[in-house]
Amino acid sequence: MALIRIDGDSLVVVIEGLDKLWAFKGGMTIPLANVRGATADPGIAAEPKGVRAPGSHVPGVIIAGTFHQDGEKVFWDVKDPSKAVVVELAGEKYARLVLQVDDPRATVALVENALV
Amino acid sequence: MRAAVGLFGERAYDGVSVDDLVSHLGVHRNSLYKTFGSKRGLYLIALRRHLTDDVRPLCDALAGASDAADALRLVTSADLNLLLLAAIERAPVDEEVASDVAAALAAVDQAIAGALGVPGDLAAALTAAALGILLRGNPDNAATALTQHVGLLT
Repeated sequence: MALIRIDGDSLVVVIEGLDKLWAFKGGMTIPLANVRGATADPGIAAEPKGVRAPGSHVPGVIIAGTFHQDGEKVFWDVKDPSKAVVVELAGEKYARLVLQVDDPRATVALVENALV
Repeated sequence: MRAAVGLFGERAYDGVSVDDLVSHLGVHRNSLYKTFGSKRGLYLIALRRHLTDDVRPLCDALAGASDAADALRLVTSADLNLLLLAAIERAPVDEEVASDVAAALAAVDQAIAGALGVPGDLAAALTAAALGILLRGNPDNAATALTQHVGLLT
């Protein structure tokens, strides 16, 4: 589970609970200028994710950590694909974040409204 | 991009999933995100494509309309699905969509006003009526009744 909030000119992502262990991350702060958008995408978990390192993947249970695909790094923290949100970044270590959030619709609105 | 215009023009925004976009547009999910940033980013580009491909030619045609009946016929026979859905569904919650929709409708008004030599507010009323007739689906009788009355006013 991830908590996403807007703090001034930044997007703050906090990885909660045990996922923190799997994902080796407490959280990250990203300037909004480097955030291109957010999309609710329940289908993304069914796609090939590339090579995982570092992180953890117990199939069907949790997808967490850094995945390398097509020369891009993608950060995953998803247990329930129906609640996955994709945050596309530019000029950051990660090309995109795929995060499980409590309310995908509200999260997408929060991020998109912050970008307008 | 025409496939995206078609998809967003026939279904509610929330009814178009990224899976739908990936399969209909024939692009990889990662490149979709890389290119457009988000579903909304893709939607905005599809909407603008629709305005360029469908609404602008309508305005060009309207500029040559001979009378109110001709203008109504042009509007009610145009493909305005995405514009109408955007006006109803996305404009109230998305400022950029709202501003694109307002500009497109203003261009339609202006084309009608110019062609018929009527004031802007009457042109806007004609556009509003034409879109209403388009939404109701069986335009003939309503359009005829309206143009008879408009004919009396102009």
